[in-house]
Amino acid sequence: MKVSKWSENLFGTPIFDPVVTASFMFPLLYLVAFLIIPVLTMLAVAFEYNGHFSFHWFTSILTSNYYISKPTGEFYRLITMPNGEQIYYVQGVDFGVIINSLLVSISVMILTTILGTVFAFVMARYDFPGKNIVRILLFVPLLVTPFVNVFIVKKMFLPNGLINWLFFDILHIFPHRIVIDGLVGVIIAQTMTYYPIVYLNAYASFINIDPTLEEQAENLGSSSFHLFRTVTFPLALPGIAAGATLVGIFSLEDLAAPIVFQGNALARKLMSFQIYSAFTSGFNVGSPQLAALALIMLTIAILMFLGIRKYVSLRQYAMLSKGGRWKPRVAKPKGWQAILIYLVVLPMLLISIFPQVGVVLLAFSESWSGTWPQGFTTAHIQSIITQPDIERVIMNSVMYSTAAIIVILLLSLTASYASSRFKKSKLGPVLDSLSTIPIAVPGIVIAMSYFFFFAKVFPDTPLDPTNLLGFNPAMILVLAYSIRRLPFAARSISAGIQQVHVSLEEAALNLGAGRWKALTGILMPLILLNLLGGAMLSFVYCMSETSVGITLGSINPEYYPITARMVELMTSAVGSANLAAALGVFLMTVQIIAIVLANVITKQRYSFIGLT
Amino acid sequence: MVDVKLENIVKTFGETVALKGIDLHIKAGELFTLLGPSGCGKSTTLRIIAGLDFPDSGTIYFGDEEVTYLPSSKRGAVLVFQNYALWPHMTVFDNVAYGLKLKKLSKDEIRKKVEWALELVKLKGFEDRYPTQLSGGQQQRVAIARALVVEPKVLLLDEPLSNLDAKLRLEMRSEIRRIQRELGITVIYVTHDQEEAMAISDRIAVMNVGTVEQVGTPKEIYESPRTEFVASFMGKTNVIPARVVERNGDRVSVEFEGIRLDGLHYTDKSDDVVIVIRPERIQLKPVENAVSFTGTVDLIEYYGFFIEVVGLFGDTRIIARTISDREVAGLRPLQEVTFYVERDDIIILPRQQL
Repeated sequence: MKVSKWSENLFGTPIFDPVVTASFMFPLLYLVAFLIIPVLTMLAVAFEYNGHFSFHWFTSILTSNYYISKPTGEFYRLITMPNGEQIYYVQGVDFGVIINSLLVSISVMILTTILGTVFAFVMARYDFPGKNIVRILLFVPLLVTPFVNVFIVKKMFLPNGLINWLFFDILHIFPHRIVIDGLVGVIIAQTMTYYPIVYLNAYASFINIDPTLEEQAENLGSSSFHLFRTVTFPLALPGIAAGATLVGIFSLEDLAAPIVFQGNALARKLMSFQIYSAFTSGFNVGSPQLAALALIMLTIAILMFLGIRKYVSLRQYAMLSKGGRWKPRVAKPKGWQAILIYLVVLPMLLISIFPQVGVVLLAFSESWSGTWPQGFTTAHIQSIITQPDIERVIMNSVMYSTAAIIVILLLSLTASYASSRFKKSKLGPVLDSLSTIPIAVPGIVIAMSYFFFFAKVFPDTPLDPTNLLGFNPAMILVLAYSIRRLPFAARSISAGIQQVHVSLEEAALNLGAGRWKALTGILMPLILLNLLGGAMLSFVYCMSETSVGITLGSINPEYYPITARMVELMTSAVGSANLAAALGVFLMTVQIIAIVLANVITKQRYSFIGLT
Repeated sequence: MVDVKLENIVKTFGETVALKGIDLHIKAGELFTLLGPSGCGKSTTLRIIAGLDFPDSGTIYFGDEEVTYLPSSKRGAVLVFQNYALWPHMTVFDNVAYGLKLKKLSKDEIRKKVEWALELVKLKGFEDRYPTQLSGGQQQRVAIARALVVEPKVLLLDEPLSNLDAKLRLEMRSEIRRIQRELGITVIYVTHDQEEAMAISDRIAVMNVGTVEQVGTPKEIYESPRTEFVASFMGKTNVIPARVVERNGDRVSVEFEGIRLDGLHYTDKSDDVVIVIRPERIQLKPVENAVSFTGTVDLIEYYGFFIEVVGLFGDTRIIARTISDREVAGLRPLQEVTFYVERDDIIILPRQQL
C-alpha cells in the first residue's frame, strides 16, 4: 500500500479511511444540499427578469424611496391626550426599509455593548453584598419567550406602564410621560432581549484576562479608569466586539419586535418584517423582488460576520497569555463605585429582567391594563394541557426538535471531528466556514430560500410550500433547525474534542483499533457530557425557534410549531396574549430545566444564548 | 522481536523538512535511543516507525517485512506516549486489556495476560482504579503494561520520563531497563536528556536538525564524538575554535589565542577546526605526554563532589573539573594557571555550521 496524495489533501490522512471520509462528506453534502443550493435557488430567482440575467430587482429596490430614502418624520412628538395631559411619543425617523434595518441594528449593537460591558465589568471585577442574587438574576434575561417579552416591553412604556409609573409618577424624573413605539420600540425591545449575549462574551473576556497584565499596569502607576481604558478594555475588546456583532445580526433578522410593534407603520418598515409579511399575506411570497431583498439582507449579515471574524482573528490577545487558570482580580467597590453599582447598575438590571417577570405575571393574571396586572388565575396555564390546539403545537414542536437534535448531533460531531482532528485536510477550512456561516444567515432568509427550493424541486408533494393544505413542514423545519443551530452545537462539541488529547485516539489506533472504534470507543465517551449538553441546549433552541417556525411552519395549522401558534395568539383578539404568555412560561420552564440539567451533568457553566 | 531498518526516510511538514534522509538499523533485542535537542526530528522518526505519520519517501522494514505504509493498527510497533495517553474513562484493567480485546482473545486469556503485565510493572491490585487515581509513576507503568501486553514487535518510548520528578525518573529508568532485559524486546527510546540516554541505552543515535550525526554505544558517543555537534551535545565540554597550522601525517599542530598545541591526531582536510576537551580530562599538575597552556583563573565554582576551575586564555574560557580540593587549594581568581591535557584526551574535529 502507498500513501495517497489526494486522500491526504482532501481528508488530511494519507491512508484512505471510510470513517474520516464520511466525517467530512456528511456535513459538507448536508450543508451544500440544504444551505448553499437553496440560497442559490433564491439567487437565481432574484437575478432573473423576463427570462434573462438581470439586476432589475436589485436596482428597483435600491432606487426606490420605500427602501432607501431621506429621513422623513419626526423622531418624537409631543401629543396631547384626551385628558389634556401631554406625552412624548417616540418612534424614530424613517430612512427607508434597508437603512432603517441597518440603523436599528447599529443602535442595538451600541446599546447592548454599553449595557452588557457595564454589567460584565461589575460582575467580573467587584465583590459586593448581594452579588450572588445578581448572578442568578442575570440568567433571567437569557430565558427566551418569543413575542411575549417584547409585548411586556411595549407595556412597560405605555403611559401607565412601569417605566412611566416609576420615572414620572414616583421619581418625577421625566418631564412628561414617554411612550415608545415604531423603530425606537424595536430598538429598546431588542436591546433588552439581546444584551445578555454581549454580557456573556464580555464577562468571559474580563475573566480571561491574565491578572498580572493589570497588576503590571498598576505597578507602573496606572489605576482606575485609566487602567480600564488602556489595558482591560482593549484586551476584552475582541470578545465584546464578537458579542456585539452577533447581536447586530440577530437584530437584523429579528421578527418578534417588529411583529409586536407592527401597529406602528414605521416598525413594519424593516427588512425582516417585509419578507415575513409576504408569507402571512399569502400572495407575493414568490416575488423575485423579495428574493432580492432577502439577498441584500443576507449580504449585510455576512459582511458583518466576516468583518468581525477578520477583526477577532487579528487580535487574539486572550490566547497570548500563558493559559492556566488564575484567581481573577476582584475588589470591593469604593465610594462612588458602590453608589453607581447600587443606584444605577442594579436598578437597570431589575428593569431589564422585568419582561421575563412580566411574562409570568401575564400568564397568571386575568387582565392587565394598568401598571400592574389584575386578578390571579391559573386558567391560562391549565389550557396548555386542556386545550387540544395548544397540546398539539407542543407535541409538534417536541417532535420536530427531537428529530432535529439527532441531526444536529450527527452533523456537529462529524464536522468538529473532521476539522479538529485532520488539520492537514484542504477540505477542513471549507467545512469550517460552511458550518459557521449559518450564524450569519438570517432565519427569514433560510425560510425564503427553502420556499423557492422546495417549491421548485419537489412541486406538488407535501414538501411544496405552495401546496398549502397539502404541505407538511416537518422535514423542512427539522432541516432549518439543524442548519441554524449547527454553528453553536459544533462550537461546544469542538471545544470538547479539543480537550481530549489526540494521543488518546492514537494510542487506540496504535494498539490495533480502527478509526470507527477509536471514535466510538474513546472519543465519544470522553466528550459524552459535551454531547449531552449540546443536545439539551439545541432542544431548547429548536423549541423556541421563530423565523422559520412562523413562516413556513405557519402555513398549515395542523403542523404548527409552538411559535407559530404564539404569533397567532399575539396578533389576534384581546386576551389571547395571556395564553401566549402561558406558552412562554412553558418554554421558560423547559429552558430552566435544560440549563440546570446541562450545568449539573457537565459541571460547567453553560448558558443558553437567547436567539430564536 | 525484530530488527528495524530505516532507509533514507524523508519527511516534510509544509515548508519545513523534518527528516532529511534518515538511515538507521536497530538490532533485534537492543535498547536503541534517539537523542537530540527538541525539533531535531526524533519524535517524528518515532511516530513514523509507529505508523502514526508516514514518510514522504524512504522505506521501513521490520525484519524482512516492509511496513512503510502499513497502518498503525496493523504494525505491532506499540508506542508509549509522552503523556501516557491513558483513557480516563476506563479502569487500569480495561486500559491494559484494550489491545487484547481487539485481538478477540478469550476472557480468561485476557485476564491472565493483563495480570502478567501488571505484575511485570509491579501494579498488581490496581486493576479497578481509574488513571486519575494513580500517581504519575503509576500511570507511566500502566502505559508500559498496556503496550507490553500485546507483545509488540517493537516497543517505542517517547520521552517516557519527562513528566516525572527527578527521583522517580531514576527509578523508572532502571525499571524500563529491567523489563527490557527480562523480555529481550526491541525498544526504541526517544529523549533529549544525554545522561538518561547514556545510562539506559545499548546504542544511541544522536540527531540534529533532521539528520543522524552519529550512531554508537554510549562510550563511543561520549569519548569519540565524530562531529562538533555530538561533542557539544554530550555533556559539558570545552569546544575551542582553532586552526591547523602544521600537518605531519596524521599528526597536526593547532593554534588558538596564540597558543600552539603540537602532535595531535587529526586526519580531515579542513583547517578550520575545533578542539574538544572534556573538563574532567584537564589536570592542574604536569603529566606525561601532555600539552599545556597557561592563562589566568577566571572563576572557581564549587559543586560539592567536584570543583570547576574556569581558566581564561585570551578571550577563550576553558573549564577544568577536578574532584580534589587540594589541587585548587592555592588558586585564586586572576592568578596564573596552567592546564595539562594528555594528547589522547584531545579530539580535533572539523568546524561545523551549527
